[in-house]
Amino acid sequence: MSQRKRASNTQSSQNKGVRSQRWEAVLGDDEDDPSFTQPSTSQVQKGLDRLTPAQVDLKTAEVVQFIFVKDQKKFPIRRADIVKHVVKEYRNIYPEIIKRVGCVFETVFGLKLVEIDSKNHVYILINKLEQLEGESLNMSPSNPKTGLLFVILSIVFMKGGVVKESMVWNTLKKLRVDQGERHEIFGDVKKVVTDEFVRQRYLEYVRIPHTEPLEFEFRWGQRADMEVSKVKLLEFIGQLHEQDPQSWTQQYREATAPPAAPAVVTSANTSASVSQR
Amino acid sequence: MRRAIRGGDETAPPRQNGVPGGKGDGRAAERGDAAAAGADDDEAGCSPAEMQDEDNDPARRREIRSKYRDLINSVQQNREDMLSPTNNKLTDVLEEANKLFAEVRQAREAALDAQLLVLATDLGKEKASQLHAEGSAFDPSAFAEHLLSFMGLNRLEDEDEEEEGGGVSSGYLPQDAWQRVATRAQCCFRTAPSFHYMMGSFLAELPPPRQRVERQRKVPGREAKRIMPTQLRRMEESHQEATEKEVERILGYLQGYFNDDPTSPISYYEFVIDPTSFSRSVENIFHTSFLVRDGVARMYLDHDKLPCIAPVEEGEVEAGGTSSRQQCVISISPKSWKSLHTT
Repeated sequence: MSQRKRASNTQSSQNKGVRSQRWEAVLGDDEDDPSFTQPSTSQVQKGLDRLTPAQVDLKTAEVVQFIFVKDQKKFPIRRADIVKHVVKEYRNIYPEIIKRVGCVFETVFGLKLVEIDSKNHVYILINKLEQLEGESLNMSPSNPKTGLLFVILSIVFMKGGVVKESMVWNTLKKLRVDQGERHEIFGDVKKVVTDEFVRQRYLEYVRIPHTEPLEFEFRWGQRADMEVSKVKLLEFIGQLHEQDPQSWTQQYREATAPPAAPAVVTSANTSASVSQR
Repeated sequence: MRRAIRGGDETAPPRQNGVPGGKGDGRAAERGDAAAAGADDDEAGCSPAEMQDEDNDPARRREIRSKYRDLINSVQQNREDMLSPTNNKLTDVLEEANKLFAEVRQAREAALDAQLLVLATDLGKEKASQLHAEGSAFDPSAFAEHLLSFMGLNRLEDEDEEEEGGGVSSGYLPQDAWQRVATRAQCCFRTAPSFHYMMGSFLAELPPPRQRVERQRKVPGREAKRIMPTQLRRMEESHQEATEKEVERILGYLQGYFNDDPTSPISYYEFVIDPTSFSRSVENIFHTSFLVRDGVARMYLDHDKLPCIAPVEEGEVEAGGTSSRQQCVISISPKSWKSLHTT
């Protein structure tokens, strides 16, 4: 893997001391990740020794603020961006910084920083706390797109996790939302659903192989898996149908199954993952 | 079957007549391979002449292919219809296909048959998923109807016509329809709140002053407005006044007490301590310190070494404060405050 080759390059440059200029020469364009190799624990320790705690704290705070601003649109935040714009010459202690950032989010803001893609190193922010019915998060009226998203996620969930896009569009049509026409609230609906929601990782829009003409299907995205409570979803659906949520036994079972452990950025797992890389 | 397709096949020249030119077949050969393998292999080469003729009849081949295409089209067009658990149309289609398949001889037809099979199995899978033995089924149309009701759809009174299959409920949907759904659905999401500055985001510079504008004194309101976070200016002013007022008030009290009994000293602590409120006491100390700083009150120690305070006589007030200045720091904590006011 190209990552390993890079490791030997950066290792030698690192041993010469933290020379950021040399790094800039060795590392090319950091659009994609191979330019940033995860430093080892010993390198991190050496890096930490060279800096004052105040400097590290300042860097941590900057990353926290960066993530907050980047999270406004709910698009995932790339590690490459964090390193390029904020961490910069402190990249040799990146694992330590990101670990502290995760702690700050959890303890100060009650949020979780989750790495949803360990291959491409992409993070999202989700809330640790549940929202109570009737209370809105920030006192402002909710975004109607949440309603649209809810409808789509419900259909996909109730239909077993995968749904042909035609089914979704047919149902939306009954709700007066047509992908061919401009909607007065949502605008270009097709773009919102297949582009915005997908980029935000709420949905996955996947091509079905061997179809002629081209067909796509919808699945839940990684952000939806983390953010959405299936039990609450089922409760609302039950309320709408005036049925007991448990009457959909299969879905109920899936909703109440214990969740898979997410890759939350905490002190517990960052140190372990560093040695693996 | 592949041999039949390849151009230079020497064992069966008569068969070539029935097979039209290469381009369609190349593709068909790939797709039809799997299916074709099952079809009559023993026909290659040495079959009786009559049978060859019938199989080679191009009209017959075309007929079969067109029948297949019809079947495929009907499955595609009537998909929704076939999905319905109330009929057996899918089975009929499969039986039809079976009959046709008996006459398939060449890869091209077999390819169509394979395509039909793919469509049929897809439909079959869908139908099967509808038949979940346990739990109730989920019907997206019913879901949509319930949602519309939730959104507050005002169904029109006179709905005589039957809704077409998959038709839309008519009626008036209120403006905040989607808002309602969103508000209710919000609690299913554990979204992190979006970050935004509390009081506006940036300080913009005034646009460069235009010289050509009237030279008369402008009313402040006419100046271009700065975009600034709402300044808490006025708060500060009132705060300032409050302090001065308080200091004046304290001075008034001090002078009052002194005038009542000019000879007996006023114990400092007795003066500033408010037995009912610690914070009040601290405020009093704060305001009194202004009096001392401004030279209108003076503090001294009496013979018990307890601090006392007295207003400075009218004549003694010196402008500029050339008298020696001394400073001291007084600290007080709730504990000491308690012990002070109980004694």
